[in-house]
Amino acid sequence: MEAIERNLREEAKRLLAEKKVDVIVGYEAGTLPLTATPTFITDPAEAERLVWNPLCVHNLAKYVHDVITQHRNSQKRVKPESRTRKVVGVVARGCTSRSIILHLQERQYGREDIVIIGVPCQGYIDRKKLSVSLNGEEVLSGTIEGDEIKVMTGTGEKRLRLSDVLADNCITCRFNNPIISDVSLGEPASAMKAEEEFNEVNAFEQLSSDERWAYFEKEMAKCIRCYACRQACPSCYCPECFVEQSRPQWVGIGGDASDTQVFQIMRIFHMVGRCVDCGSCIAVCPMGVDLRKFLKKLDKDAFELFGSRAGSSLEDPPVLSTFKEHECEDFIYNP
Amino acid sequence: MEKRLIKKDALAGIPKKIRENFTVFAPVKVEDNVVFKELEPQEEPLVGHYQNTKNAPKGVFFPRTEVMMRYVRTPKGVQLKGIEMAAADAVLFGVRPCDARSFALLDLLFDQEKYKDPYYIAKREKATVVTLACARVPYRTCFCTSVEGGPLDGKGSDVLITDLGTDFLVEFLTPKGEKLGSYFEGTPASEEAEKKKEEVKQKAEGEIVSHIPAREIKPILDVNFDHPFWDTIHKKCLACGTCTYLCPTCHCFDISDEMKYDDGRRLRNWDSCMYPLFTKETSGHNPRPTQKERWRQRTMHKFKYYVDNFNAIACVGCGRCVMYCPVNIDIRKIVEDISKLQ
Ligand code: SF4
Ligand code: SF4
Ligand code: SF4
Ligand code: SF4
Repeated sequence: MEAIERNLREEAKRLLAEKKVDVIVGYEAGTLPLTATPTFITDPAEAERLVWNPLCVHNLAKYVHDVITQHRNSQKRVKPESRTRKVVGVVARGCTSRSIILHLQERQYGREDIVIIGVPCQGYIDRKKLSVSLNGEEVLSGTIEGDEIKVMTGTGEKRLRLSDVLADNCITCRFNNPIISDVSLGEPASAMKAEEEFNEVNAFEQLSSDERWAYFEKEMAKCIRCYACRQACPSCYCPECFVEQSRPQWVGIGGDASDTQVFQIMRIFHMVGRCVDCGSCIAVCPMGVDLRKFLKKLDKDAFELFGSRAGSSLEDPPVLSTFKEHECEDFIYNP
Repeated sequence: MEKRLIKKDALAGIPKKIRENFTVFAPVKVEDNVVFKELEPQEEPLVGHYQNTKNAPKGVFFPRTEVMMRYVRTPKGVQLKGIEMAAADAVLFGVRPCDARSFALLDLLFDQEKYKDPYYIAKREKATVVTLACARVPYRTCFCTSVEGGPLDGKGSDVLITDLGTDFLVEFLTPKGEKLGSYFEGTPASEEAEKKKEEVKQKAEGEIVSHIPAREIKPILDVNFDHPFWDTIHKKCLACGTCTYLCPTCHCFDISDEMKYDDGRRLRNWDSCMYPLFTKETSGHNPRPTQKERWRQRTMHKFKYYVDNFNAIACVGCGRCVMYCPVNIDIRKIVEDISKLQ
């Protein structure tokens, strides 16, 4: 980990100093113990702030899209001959690189607009799991040592196994290394329990439709429609989301349960073949809504019916924007 | 103002007794969170053994969504129908001092001499606030002492309960509070108890580790509406509004109408300066077009505009926004950084 971090800072410094990139999107230490937070580095001297460790949660492809789009918009009023390009360097692990591939396939930006600094990933810590295993006690300080986390709380020192508090999506991830990159740091990481990827969905599928709907209703009742999930999601990049349109207004903004359900159903269905299971939406949800169960079901369908995994290869186009002659159509006649 | 000492094991039973005659709101454990909510018959309130609730209690007076009026569309035009405004007598039990202070701050806005918000006032007037002082400071992110509050502060409270180690000291701070006197059986507090409370206060204040120059930044904000600093906060912000929804003092709302066939209702919902729709005008123009202007608004509103309007800082130092921001935007650091601007 330390070696990767050292190389990462060197690489970032070099890319900025040689003007290969205008900004590096990466992670730095947060202001609270045992946290890391997204950061934007433009000055080579600031590259020292970059970190890479299991506290790095967010899928940074979202910010790559933000930065490039904002820059493009700012260029609209500039004469064509004076327009500039902004090249974004990004610290990318497996899922981040999948989102980038998706962006490239959906023509959100070009390969020349980005420099991918690939890092191997052994999963990130799920803050909610961490909090539960500490009985909700506040973390006063903490360090990660190999496979162990040492945490100080008000009642003393606790030692936790890293693998016990990793996010569910990380434990079953099969893309632990970036799929495309310009610079690749460290030794490739290996998968943990990739074969259990669909276990939870399989179990859920066994329930009756009433039971499944009851679960959906229960989870969605927690949702306060802050839209953090949508905001954190690299695949949710519409300039204006349907929930914010007012002519016509598709969903009410009051507390009606059906409005929340409509938002969620729509967002989830917009993720068919586009969700990379990075877990960002779940990580940022303040209410602990189980979105993954539903997203993963679509993921499974896209894989089992069409042999597609979102962003798993530049050559393999997104499932909903391609038609292959012999692909599965049964569900159209026999839903 | 009456003061009483009550036995430590007596406290837990009190909210339930009060519930016989009042609607009670209290901290309750729901799944993995401790939330401030209306106490249901089968629910056990947490008293004493919790840090602070995840949500702020402001929702009791200023709910996330509420009906302001109803109307019906008829062939002769729209007919307005009022709504029932009267609120039930309520007791908020186990509020933390920072959150109690937020009520005093919200009163400044919703209950002014000239402008009165009948929806807020109807509920607020009927409610008694029973506060549990922070004899032990719950979080390292607490900074109430930097924003004119404190772990034993009684502002905004009607009754203040302080753990003195051996007993609880119960202070009835207002006539509303005194009306609850019969629920707290105990003995009159001596001067000894006063002294003990002072010790607890000193100790608790010493436990606060976060300090911010909250008042000091006002003159800097006065003259730095345009400053490159405003480009540095917002880039990673997700615009989720978690910070404002959890904040005990954030109070922006948005009004919208909803129709079902011919029945309409006018709703007011929490709004947030973090949202792209915030202050977006009908024409499509938004004076705060990006997250940069929105974050400037949030900072200015708390540390400048509220001070201009009411001579009070619109932050009580509860630290919720610091703890729960999904991308770790830290208001303590923002204030600190502003204090260092040239
Ligand atoms: S982040 Fe959670 S609470 Fe917010 S809109 Fe998404 S599911 Fe709902
Ligand atoms: S701004 Fe943050 S710390 Fe201050 S009162 Fe609001 S939530 Fe609490
Ligand atoms: S900010 Fe102060 S009053 Fe609020 S919970 Fe922390 S110590 Fe208690
Ligand atoms: S909680 Fe954080 S990410 Fe969400 S709107 Fe507030 S500052 Fe932005």
